[in-house]
Amino acid sequence: MDLLQRFALGEIDAFETLVHQFQGEIYAWTVRIVRDPGTAEDLTVETLWRIYRARQRFRPDGNFGAWARRIATNLAIDHLRLKPREESLTTEPVGVPQPDRLVQRETRDKIRQAFRRLPAKLQVAATLALIEEQPYEEIADALGTSAGAVKLRVFRAVRILRKRLNQAGIGPEQK
Amino acid sequence: MTKYDDRQIGDALKRSFHPVHTELERDLWPQLLRKLDDRPVRVPWYDWALAGLSAAMFLGFPRLIFVFAYHL
Repeated sequence: MDLLQRFALGEIDAFETLVHQFQGEIYAWTVRIVRDPGTAEDLTVETLWRIYRARQRFRPDGNFGAWARRIATNLAIDHLRLKPREESLTTEPVGVPQPDRLVQRETRDKIRQAFRRLPAKLQVAATLALIEEQPYEEIADALGTSAGAVKLRVFRAVRILRKRLNQAGIGPEQK
Repeated sequence: MTKYDDRQIGDALKRSFHPVHTELERDLWPQLLRKLDDRPVRVPWYDWALAGLSAAMFLGFPRLIFVFAYHL
């Protein structure tokens, strides 16, 4: 009997092997979305726990990695919905207090704040596509939708963000 | 003031969010195992039904308590 069949039957040893095989991948995907290592670890544990609880629904001929990624993405979306305005820890490093730098930092803070106010689903699509540059097909698979729908979400996110930044009087940085 | 176009929004986001470290620093299995062990004990529905039925029976026919006590 192969590993996935044993997992579906509830064998804890098989589950442990799968955890060691996939925890890094799930964490990497989650941290790209939530952008905070501590939160990503917690969400990875929660994802793995939910996977174990839902093992009877898993088809052993299916793709375990894709299934895990979808659960992780849904949890990350729920997390962003609950804490939409929480600022990421991954902000700018403390820089030299020059006036230009301060303006630049302030602008980037405002961009981050505006981005965090986007609906969670748009935020996730835009984060993965624009910041992390993940392939649309991969994002679509994780979101349980089509690549076209992901492109539409990214388009909507960009439009909303553009409007908000322009309304707030925040212009592009001069190169 | 210059306004953002769609392409510039993507560039601005990349500049505003620094890259994240995607390597997992520790094994999460011990933490997960603790979470699995912490599962609350679930009482199946038929146990609740049996308890309810017994309570109703003893309320309706209190003398049955003695019969049960005798057989225990």
